[in-house]
Amino acid sequence: MQSPFNGIRRVALTAAVILAAATAAYGHHGWSWTQDGFFELRGKITAIYIGNPHATLDVDAEGEVWRVDLAPPSRTIAAGFTEEVAKVGDEVTAIGHRSRDETEKWMKASRIIVNGKTYDVYPDRVPPA
Amino acid sequence: MDELLAGIEQLVLVRALKASFVAYPIVNALHIMSIGALLTSVWLMDLRVLGAFCSLPYAAFVALMRRTAFAAFAGALVTGSLLFSVRASEYAAMPIFLTKMTLILLAGANFLVFMRVCRARGVEVPAGGVVTVLAVLSLVLWTSVLFAGRFIGFLN
Repeated sequence: MQSPFNGIRRVALTAAVILAAATAAYGHHGWSWTQDGFFELRGKITAIYIGNPHATLDVDAEGEVWRVDLAPPSRTIAAGFTEEVAKVGDEVTAIGHRSRDETEKWMKASRIIVNGKTYDVYPDRVPPA
Repeated sequence: MDELLAGIEQLVLVRALKASFVAYPIVNALHIMSIGALLTSVWLMDLRVLGAFCSLPYAAFVALMRRTAFAAFAGALVTGSLLFSVRASEYAAMPIFLTKMTLILLAGANFLVFMRVCRARGVEVPAGGVVTVLAVLSLVLWTSVLFAGRFIGFLN
C-alpha cells in the first residue's frame, strides 16, 4: 500500500496554487477590492436588482455599462431605495468607490441620488458633508 | 436558455427568497452545512481508501461515509439551486460558476469510475495505483469545487 501522504501533499499544493492565483483577483464582498478615494458615476439606469445577496444597478455612463453594487436588500430598502422609487431610464448619480482594477466598470456605492432624492445605503461610508 | 433562466427568477418561491431578510441567509447557512459535511465525508472516505485510519473496518467506514456524502450532496444540490435561482441568468453567465459545475460533473464521473474499478476487482479492500489515483483525484476535485463555489461570491 502506497503512503497516502504523497496524495495529501499534492492536494495541499493544488489548494495553495488555487488560493494564490485567486487572491490576485478578489473583490465583491466588503470594500477591500475598491479604491480608497471617492468616485462618482453619473448615467442612466439600465437595470435594477433589489434582492439577495445584495442589490445592484446597471448604469450606462457615456455608452459604457457599469455595475454598481449597493447594500444587501434589508439595508438598501431601509435606506428608502426600493423598486418603486426608480425605473430603467432614470438618471442616477452613484457615489462610493470604484474597483482597484480600473479595467472593470464596477463600483460599490454608499450613496445614490435618483430623481432628486438621496439614498444612503451605507450611511457610515458617505463622503463628509 | 435565457428565457428559462429568466423564468426561474420569476417563480413565486424564488421571488420570495430574493426579497427575504431571513430565508436567504438560512438557505445560505444550510448550503454551507451541506458542503461542510460533504467535504468532511469525502476527505475521510478517500483518506481511508488511501490507507489512513487502518484500524477502522474498511467496508463499514466507507459505507457510512458514502451515505453521509450522498445525503450532504443532496442537501447542497437543493440549497445551491435555491441560491442560484435568485439571479439565475447572472450566475449562468459567470465562468467561475460554469467551472464549478464542470468540476462537480468530473467529480461525479470520477466516483462512477471508482465504483466500476472496485466492482470489477471484487476484493474487500481495493488498493493499488489506479485506486490511489482515483482517490487523490476525488480529493482534488471536491476541494476545487469548494474553492470555485466560494469564488462565485467574489468574482463578477
